[in-house]
Amino acid sequence: MACFERASPALKEILLRLYRDERAIDADHHLHEFGSVEYYIQSLVSDPDHTYLSIATPILSQAFLVSTRLSRYTIQKVKAISAEVVEIVEPPKEGYQLTIRLNFARMPHGKESIKMITDIAAVQGVILSSQLEEMLMNVNSQDVAQGMYKPIKLVYHPREPFYVIKQPQKITAVFPMRFKEKTDVIIATTFFQQELMDVANTKACAKAPHCIWSPIPPPELRGEAIEDLSTNGGFVSFDITSRHIEGKRLDKTVWNLLNFYAFVKNHVKSTRGFIQRRMRTCLKSLVEVLQKTGPQDEQQIKEVKGYKRMKKLVKFTKFKIIRYRSDFTSKLKRIRSRLKIHGFNRFRRKWLTFPIFSSKTKYRKLEKDISLQHN
Amino acid sequence: MFFSFCMFFRTSPELLLNPVTICRNEAEKCLIETSINSLRISLKVKQSDELENILTKKFLRFLSMRAEAFQVLRRKPVQGYDISFLITNYHCEDMQKQKLIDFIVQFMEDIDKEISELKLSVNTRGRLVATEFLKQFI
Repeated sequence: MACFERASPALKEILLRLYRDERAIDADHHLHEFGSVEYYIQSLVSDPDHTYLSIATPILSQAFLVSTRLSRYTIQKVKAISAEVVEIVEPPKEGYQLTIRLNFARMPHGKESIKMITDIAAVQGVILSSQLEEMLMNVNSQDVAQGMYKPIKLVYHPREPFYVIKQPQKITAVFPMRFKEKTDVIIATTFFQQELMDVANTKACAKAPHCIWSPIPPPELRGEAIEDLSTNGGFVSFDITSRHIEGKRLDKTVWNLLNFYAFVKNHVKSTRGFIQRRMRTCLKSLVEVLQKTGPQDEQQIKEVKGYKRMKKLVKFTKFKIIRYRSDFTSKLKRIRSRLKIHGFNRFRRKWLTFPIFSSKTKYRKLEKDISLQHN
Repeated sequence: MFFSFCMFFRTSPELLLNPVTICRNEAEKCLIETSINSLRISLKVKQSDELENILTKKFLRFLSMRAEAFQVLRRKPVQGYDISFLITNYHCEDMQKQKLIDFIVQFMEDIDKEISELKLSVNTRGRLVATEFLKQFI
C-alpha cells in the first residue's frame, strides 16, 4: 500500500465529478488499487438520484476470520458518515464485500460535501482496519491463559505478511522486512537500528510503542514457515500496550501498523532520491571547478587586446579599405610597367626559359610536357 | 589510451617512474603512478560503516558514469581503489597545470566532505521520519 491517505484519491475524484455533474449520466467505473483493492462505481440515467459504490478488499487473515461478512464496527462507521446519503445495500454485489447506495441529492453543499465524499472514499480503509481491530479484541483468551501466544499471520499485501501476537500485557506486531536491492537494505537497517530504536527510547516518544529491531526472528515466531521468516532486512517488533488501543487511538494504531511497510518503503525511496539530488549538485560544482582549468592562451589573448584609443585610430570602414587597396595596386602597376618591344615575348620564351630537369623521386606533370611538345 | 600506454611502457620500463603511495591508513590512501608523459592518480575513500560504504560506492559510480564531463576521470578505477584519474600530456596542453592540481585536491576534499554530509543528512532524515511515525501512536 503506497498511499498513506485513507481516502482513495481516484475514487474521491470520480465521486466528486458525479456529485458536481448537474445532469444525470451513465457511469460505469472499475478501479483497481494496489493490485488487491477493487471499486465499482455505477450511475444510471434511469435512476438519477442514486449512485452505487461496491468495494472489494483483501482479507487480512483467512485462518482467523470465520465469515466474510462485514463487522459491526464497519457497518457502524459507514452509517456514521450520513444516514441520509449513505445506505448499505444487502446483499452486496457479487464479488464485492460492500455495496453502498449514495444519494447525492441529499448531500449538504459546500465544504461539508467534500468532507462527506472523502469519508466515503475512505470506507475501504475502514473495512481493512476493522478486520485487524476485531482480531486484536477477540483473540482467543484461552490461548493467552495457557501461555500459548500463537502468532496471527496477516497478509495485507501478498509479499508483505506480518504477525500479531497477543500476550497478557501487550500485543506484539512483528514485521519481517524484505527489500529488493542491497542499497535499500542498508538504508532501511540503518533506519531501524540507529533511528527508530533510538527515537523510541527518547523522552519525547516515551508513550509510543517500544520498538526493537533484530536481524534474526524473535522467539515468538518460532514454528512459523521458513519462507516467511527468511528476510534480508531483519525483523521490526512493536510492543503495543493497552493505552495504544484505547478509544480513538485504536484506529490510529491499526492504521499505522497496516501502513508500516509502505512507510518504510517510502522513506527508503525518498532517501535514495535525496542522495541522487545531492550527487547531481556535487557533480555540477566539481565540473565547474574543472572548467576553470581552461587553456592559458585564452587568458593571455584576453589580456593583450590593446587600448581603445589605438583601436579607434586603426579603425577603417570596409569601403575605405577597398578603395585604398585599388588605388595602391594601380599606382604599383604604373610604377612597375615595362617597355613593350615587339617580338620580345617570343624571344624570351625561346631563349630565356629555364630547362626542366626530371627528378628520380618526383613525378612529372604530363600536361606541361605535352604543352612543351606542342611548342 | 592508458592501456596502450601501459602495454608500451611494460615493454620499456625506463619510461615509467616510481609510483608513490600516500597512505593515512589502510582505508584511506592515494596512489600516484607517473610515466614520462602521463600521470595516474588513484584514490581510496574512507568507508567506516555499511552506510558510508554504500554512499561512497554510489557516489563514485555516479561520477565514473559521467567521466566524459571530467575529461581526466577514468571510468574504471585501479584495483583496490575507488576512483582513478589519468592526466596525460594532452590534458596539460589544454588545461592549466596548477589548476588541474587544485582540482584534484579539491575533488579529494569534496568527496570526503560530501560523503560525511550525506551520511549525516540521511541519518537526520531517518530520525525525523522515525519521530513522525512514532508520534502517530501517541
